[in-house]
Amino acid sequence: MADQKIAAYICQGCGLGDRLDTKALAQIAKTDGKAHLIREHEFLCNADGVATIQKDIDEGVTHVAIAACSRRAKTEAFYFPTVALSRANLREGVIWIRPEGDEHQETTQEMAQDYVRMACAEAKRLIQPGGNPTAARNTTVLVVGGGVTGMTAALEASKTGYQVVLVEKSSQLGGWAGKLWKRAAYKEPFADPADTGVAEMAAAIEADKNIKVYLNATVAKTDGAPGRFNIDIATESGSVTQEHVGSIVQASGFNLYDIAKLPELGGGVNQNVVDQAGLEALAKAANGGAIKRADGGAVNSVVFVQCAGQRDDSGKHLSYCSGTCCLTSIKQAMYFKDQNPDIDTIVIFDDLRTPGNGEDFYRSAQKKGVTFTKGKVAGVAASGNGLKVTFNDLILGDENATIDADLVVLATGQVPNSGVNIDEKVEEGVDVKPISILNLNYRQGPDVPQLKQGFVDSHFICFPYESRRTGIYPAGPVRRPMDIAQAMEDATGATMKAVQAIENAAVGRAAHPRSGDLSFPSFRAEGCTQCKRCTVECPFGAIDEDEKRFPVFNEARCRRCGTCMGACPVRVISFENYSIDSVGSQIKAVDIPDEFQEKPRILILACENDAYPALDMAGMNHNEYSAYVRIIPVRCLGSVNLIWVTDALNSGYDGVMMMGCKHGDNYQCHFVKGSEIASIRLSKVDETLKSLNLETERVQNYEVAITDIERVPQLINDYAAKIQEIGLSPFKF
Amino acid sequence: MTEVVATNQTILVVGGGISGMTAALEAAECGKDVVLLEKNPALGGRVSQLYRYFPKLCHPTCGLEINLRRLKGNRRIRVMTMSEVTSISGQKGDYTVSVKIKPRFVNENCTACGECAKAVTSEVPDAFNYNLGKVKAAYLPSAMAYPQRYVLDPSVIGTPEADQAKAACKYGAIDLEMKEETVQIKAGAVIWATGWQPYDAAKIQPYGYDRFANVITSVEFERLADPHGPTGGKILRPGDGKEAKNVAFIQCAGSRDENHLRHCSRICCMASLKQTNYVTEKFGDDGKSTIYYIDIRAIDRFEDFYQKVQANPNVKFVKSKVAKIVQDEKSGNPILHGVDTEGYNRYATEHDLVVLAVGMAPSVPAGMIPAEIVADSSGFIQQDEANGGFFGAGCATNALDVNRAVQSATASALRAIQVVNQVARAEA
Amino acid sequence: MSDLNTQAKEKYHNNFLKEVAANVEEGDWVKMCMQCGVCSGSCPFGPHWAHPPQEIFMMIRAGKREEVLTSDSMWMCTSCYNCIVRCPRKLPITHIMHGLANYAHRLGLAPKNQPTRQFAKLFWNNIVKTGRVNELKLSLGLYFKDGLASGVKTGMAMSSVGLGLVKAKRLNPMEILGGHGCKDIKGIQAMVKKAQEIEAKRKGFTAA
Repeated sequence: MADQKIAAYICQGCGLGDRLDTKALAQIAKTDGKAHLIREHEFLCNADGVATIQKDIDEGVTHVAIAACSRRAKTEAFYFPTVALSRANLREGVIWIRPEGDEHQETTQEMAQDYVRMACAEAKRLIQPGGNPTAARNTTVLVVGGGVTGMTAALEASKTGYQVVLVEKSSQLGGWAGKLWKRAAYKEPFADPADTGVAEMAAAIEADKNIKVYLNATVAKTDGAPGRFNIDIATESGSVTQEHVGSIVQASGFNLYDIAKLPELGGGVNQNVVDQAGLEALAKAANGGAIKRADGGAVNSVVFVQCAGQRDDSGKHLSYCSGTCCLTSIKQAMYFKDQNPDIDTIVIFDDLRTPGNGEDFYRSAQKKGVTFTKGKVAGVAASGNGLKVTFNDLILGDENATIDADLVVLATGQVPNSGVNIDEKVEEGVDVKPISILNLNYRQGPDVPQLKQGFVDSHFICFPYESRRTGIYPAGPVRRPMDIAQAMEDATGATMKAVQAIENAAVGRAAHPRSGDLSFPSFRAEGCTQCKRCTVECPFGAIDEDEKRFPVFNEARCRRCGTCMGACPVRVISFENYSIDSVGSQIKAVDIPDEFQEKPRILILACENDAYPALDMAGMNHNEYSAYVRIIPVRCLGSVNLIWVTDALNSGYDGVMMMGCKHGDNYQCHFVKGSEIASIRLSKVDETLKSLNLETERVQNYEVAITDIERVPQLINDYAAKIQEIGLSPFKF
Repeated sequence: MTEVVATNQTILVVGGGISGMTAALEAAECGKDVVLLEKNPALGGRVSQLYRYFPKLCHPTCGLEINLRRLKGNRRIRVMTMSEVTSISGQKGDYTVSVKIKPRFVNENCTACGECAKAVTSEVPDAFNYNLGKVKAAYLPSAMAYPQRYVLDPSVIGTPEADQAKAACKYGAIDLEMKEETVQIKAGAVIWATGWQPYDAAKIQPYGYDRFANVITSVEFERLADPHGPTGGKILRPGDGKEAKNVAFIQCAGSRDENHLRHCSRICCMASLKQTNYVTEKFGDDGKSTIYYIDIRAIDRFEDFYQKVQANPNVKFVKSKVAKIVQDEKSGNPILHGVDTEGYNRYATEHDLVVLAVGMAPSVPAGMIPAEIVADSSGFIQQDEANGGFFGAGCATNALDVNRAVQSATASALRAIQVVNQVARAEA
Repeated sequence: MSDLNTQAKEKYHNNFLKEVAANVEEGDWVKMCMQCGVCSGSCPFGPHWAHPPQEIFMMIRAGKREEVLTSDSMWMCTSCYNCIVRCPRKLPITHIMHGLANYAHRLGLAPKNQPTRQFAKLFWNNIVKTGRVNELKLSLGLYFKDGLASGVKTGMAMSSVGLGLVKAKRLNPMEILGGHGCKDIKGIQAMVKKAQEIEAKRKGFTAA
């Protein structure tokens, strides 16, 4: 702290000079902000302004507080990576949301002055992180699963210049794809089944010096973090080998939904009713000749039943659509038609789903004479030497339509092989426990967290690869049902992330969404009560416990959301560039008017990803809101430590608004659980408030979306009115 | 003159939508140098013009905000807007790319204070809102625009208005002397993330998009629902500004049709299912939606979303490709004619508004890319060894939803890295 | 004729789709329909026929042979071509409709009193006789198709139109006596006969 030199810059551009008394702001920076150097500038973000700041930095300034526009604006100009930097948002946060006119001048100026105080207070408490020098670089990628996804990942990683350890539980590479006779068309003209290419891929892997393959092997234990994973690989013989890897691609694939669960469709009852894998086996056995039934009987007619045990809203079977079975049935119908056009092939579907160029494949099948019938199959029963399929013909309105067939193929879906659902309470002895894929030696459990259908959890729209375990990238059908073409694309993307994780770990850099952040959580053991809140709540399972139950932080697993910091009741967790103090000091820096001035103060803790930008854009729109609020952006509501709320109330704030992202099934929190955890914590605040004789309205939690540019000002104004109604806080001094 | 420092270890990404941004960021966060080109004045692409995403109903700008923050903090990415590739020479690992940069007439001094917009009076069609409204001729492309910098429309250049705008800017940000220029950029690999465009709905003659004001496209409907849109988020139909409470969605408007687009555009079913939520969101039980479809393609986990929409009593499904639309002269209501193929019920149904779920066509069909590139019959770029150091990403490669576009873009980043790593090894 | 029907049934093992593909003009296209229904919705005849094109195609695939061939639906087609221009699969629907009608007629399954069929027959017999259409005989034939009484009634109702046409010299009453033919009636008739032979051969009806 001794050689800390703080500089505050007050911009007069964009109307700030006209609307605010910048001289007074400069004075505040000096008296209250305790800045060593204060400059006013008429246009701070221009070349001259930037040069001025740079010169000051070159001459020893270590901490910079810029009082100008929002931290989201002019980031190219105000880019000073060597110093700690804070921004007072006087433009979007003050003059653009306040009306002009003398009657508003006082409160507007007060707002600006508080933001200058806060920026100075924050800057002072920041340390520009330099990364962790003990970070490790290990350029090996572990690929779990030797199907088409895993093989693609291995080959792509090797091609990029990284080493690979590939673990496959069976005795050969290829997975499901290896059991196929052909794959669906994947390139122009999308007309005919194509070779799977599995044998060529397996051969390429065998020939690749960078790829080490373990067959008949499983991952018995995964320990460590990106850049320094230790993997115990158990082989069938019982031997265990340890490998050290930098990141992991989890390509553990899928299982087919069990056909025996569909006895009404003949599944598991009649041997001439097979699933798609069963048909592939028959086709492989036929080796291009006539496909025969398992009993050796000829097939003159075959019926494909789509969505068997899928798209089920009764809760009995799979609720989702596997997305690939329509193309597969089309392909399999072509097996018959290509060999003998006289074989009747009928596909009974509800919605035929052949997206993209799949439409060409569909047309090609029709050209080959495959018949498509919209209907819902009610039953498949033995009939003579064959089968009778009963269905509701939805086009012709025939509820009891029947077709005779020699063979019936049920298009059952893909069930992800994603290991143990760590969020599910498994009752002992009730069901067969799933077998873990990764056996993570993590405090929170052995596998990557899942969505409700067993697919691996991620922000699957914008950031599909970001699982909740840093450095572990699920790929292929473990993430979403998919076919070979999609799995190969997905594997390539996952490999990209795996390679990136290695490079990030090597310099101690955070992964998404705080990409590039070089800070990491630091922890003071003295004071820690071993309460385990941090280890339990971390959305990314980054924190383990040692034998004394102290938390063990694994930086390379950490996403820097600060949920641990928010959780800690004794406040021993912090980041160099974000801490209890860096926020707490801002809260305390605000000048609280005494009760006779009748000017309430409302603290807003706003998620920097959604709520803060919404507030910013409300500013850009000049949507007015109360001058009594003081807004502090937080990394995530999960990082909000209740001490901030208590401090605010104790120091005389009249209310606290928390603005975070939507949680629940369709969560929008970029740290997955942050906003949810915050709301759970807050639900317990009411009791505290009551014990202090405070109204529960004084602390409110809001779900805010980034588009809420109209709603957020409204929320603020309504809340300000509410505070006026219940009266000022009794805790003012 | 713009200077771009790039070498044959640089990755050039063409297109700054979600795919291009993703490809650029993933590569840069792996330590690679990237030049990101965008032909519009701001990044974000088509997804930034959507109100919500399916199936989470979250807002695209939320992910955009994260991506922009990643971008702002990463000096390895050089963003060039209003830029287009005009030609490419060289081969894998060593390309020289000519890039045409259109004048913005606003330089980096711009603080986005908005004084120039106040100074001009004339208005131009609002491209961000699919021309459903107008903006001042000095404008910020959108609230989330990055670079956060105004644009002066070329139509006012040379008029007194341009001078007024210049005079209003205290920061010397308006430069009326800017000229179109062409720069040469070196690159080892090129990622084409040129995206998609909605199929021209006017070509679907029986639907009368060009004749009936109350027949609009799905992308336009997104703007009507968006609080940043021309109606401030109210669903008001263009014909007379009346609230559109009874909305018809016509699927496969252009897609799965050999007279138009051969392929299925994949996203349109989900888009319409999502948009029925907008109708319910705005009007509650007064809002009625009808989806006219051939097959509902709610693929994989999206099926859950479909089931949820099916459970909404205010949403009706009719299995029918609508034959034609006529307009009721008095009310301006579109009347849909066709046959419900489940039961053969002939209908002539009146709605307040028709939304055509238009198909996805490649923005720059492969034939228009100034380089040899392997494509499919719809003009989407294919992954092919013959493409050398060129890689497609996102909707330039197929009709994709956001999730799949991001996957594709991430994969393309690795493929490009493989090329520049090879260059680096050769040069080391 | 019913022999033909039996033969066809046996030949295609009740696979009506294959039968249509082989015997109906443009019938091979039926398998390409994706059941979107735009043809049915586009048909100006709307509700006036039992099975619109797309349903007919589905019935063919479902093997509903008798229902299709005895139906009067395809006889209702007016050749407006709305369906063809809108069909996303480019099926030549109009031609398929006429092809089906023709096939049903050949097999003797077409509905006996279907007016389009009756008109077509009248027209055909009328034109092959002289190589020209005798409009007077054609219209009278139509009026009297359901017997004398209704013929007289319709004739009376249309008398002012007829007289008008006569006055305008668009109708010659003397045509009732047979009218004039084309120059080489024999040649025309030989051509028609040959064409019928070729078609029958192509469609495998030589046995009949």
